[in-house]
Amino acid sequence: MPDFNPVDYAVPGFILLVLAEMIWARAKAPEKYEPRDTLVSLAMGLGSTVAGALTAGLIAALYFAIYPYRLVDIGWQWWAWIACFVLDDMAYYWFHRFAHRVRWMWASHVNHHSSQHYNLSTALRQTWTGTIALGFLFRMPLVAIGFHPAMIFFCGGLNLIYQFWFHTEAIHKCPRWFEAVMNTPSHHRVHHATNPLYLDKNFAGVFIVWDRMFGTFQPELDSERIHYGIVKQLGSFNLLWVAFHEWIGIARDVWSAPWGSKFGYVWRPPGWSHDASRDTSDTIRERWLALQGEAAAE
Amino acid sequence: MLGQLLQLGGSLLGILFLGLVCRKLGLGEDVRISSPDEARRLASEALCGFEATDLVLDRAGIGALLRDGQGRVMLLRRHGAMFAARLLDSHAFARLDRNFLTIGTGESTFGKVTLDLGDRAQVWASSLRHLGGSARA
Repeated sequence: MPDFNPVDYAVPGFILLVLAEMIWARAKAPEKYEPRDTLVSLAMGLGSTVAGALTAGLIAALYFAIYPYRLVDIGWQWWAWIACFVLDDMAYYWFHRFAHRVRWMWASHVNHHSSQHYNLSTALRQTWTGTIALGFLFRMPLVAIGFHPAMIFFCGGLNLIYQFWFHTEAIHKCPRWFEAVMNTPSHHRVHHATNPLYLDKNFAGVFIVWDRMFGTFQPELDSERIHYGIVKQLGSFNLLWVAFHEWIGIARDVWSAPWGSKFGYVWRPPGWSHDASRDTSDTIRERWLALQGEAAAE
Repeated sequence: MLGQLLQLGGSLLGILFLGLVCRKLGLGEDVRISSPDEARRLASEALCGFEATDLVLDRAGIGALLRDGQGRVMLLRRHGAMFAARLLDSHAFARLDRNFLTIGTGESTFGKVTLDLGDRAQVWASSLRHLGGSARA
């Protein structure tokens, strides 16, 4: 039974690859990095490991409490690791999709999207409040089926490591067979884009097939210039604001909303408001499509 | 526990090292808005459907004010090597000092920006006053 986190062993590789990408950026595109943005991303990554260490015990305790009631004994056979990795990645897909569609979960996940840059340091811009956002619930079915919690944690660590490398603009496209099956820099650039065409697309972690299967796939188009970040850019390098701004936004909205609408600011999509005065990704896309239609008609 | 604290301290040093390398390599361009068309593009990217009918650029290109057909006014300002935007509303703050217009959005974390708008500063300061609230010139 593995009792180590593979991410710990990957950290030196992360640092070397960030350095390599910085050197690439200096030669090709100095605007791809910004020192303060990078510092915020890395500090978010460090804070995330601290927050994760503080709450990992609670999540492990929950999983181990469920495990004795598992449906079947899967054990430690070689094929169980593969099955666990694939199913964990599907669980990640659904976690990630909900993290973009439920504001409570978005309040945590927005941290990862708040940079207007897309580089390897952005990959390390991770949340401090993932446990509060209840992301761990999405792996519970795997425990209930019969995968050992340690196996799930290990596979989750491998999944996270895989997701590091594709946060880059240094790679345009991978071979076609690879783009068809795996998540790649091209697919994930779409996910980080704020272009209306690209909003809420490509939620995959490792295998892009989940997006193809569940109808959220969008290829990157050479004609569509990508702009990264969030719909309402933060315009701030304040670390605490980056970490908690959406939680503060929820608190303010719940406080000021009419009684019947308060809960909507928690569970409805980001941007939802009881008086429809704000934009969700759906309303932005609808407006964009209408404008495209008008332009085509002229 | 000691091992974890050492790991934390090492990670912190690693972060500062990468930040220093980033700065020493000269990454993060000194971005400027070079033309009205660029300002229009940035505004429409910031808010889908915002088509500027009137605009004024800061003389150094660090920001811009734009107005669309619906009378909405957008502030564009530099944020690192990118630009960030806000629609100005009744919470906006504006102070005119000759050619310089200082604008706040009401969001403390977004901050204030002082734009050199040349001889158009007064006209725009006046138009911001019509947004109501605390805008003053």
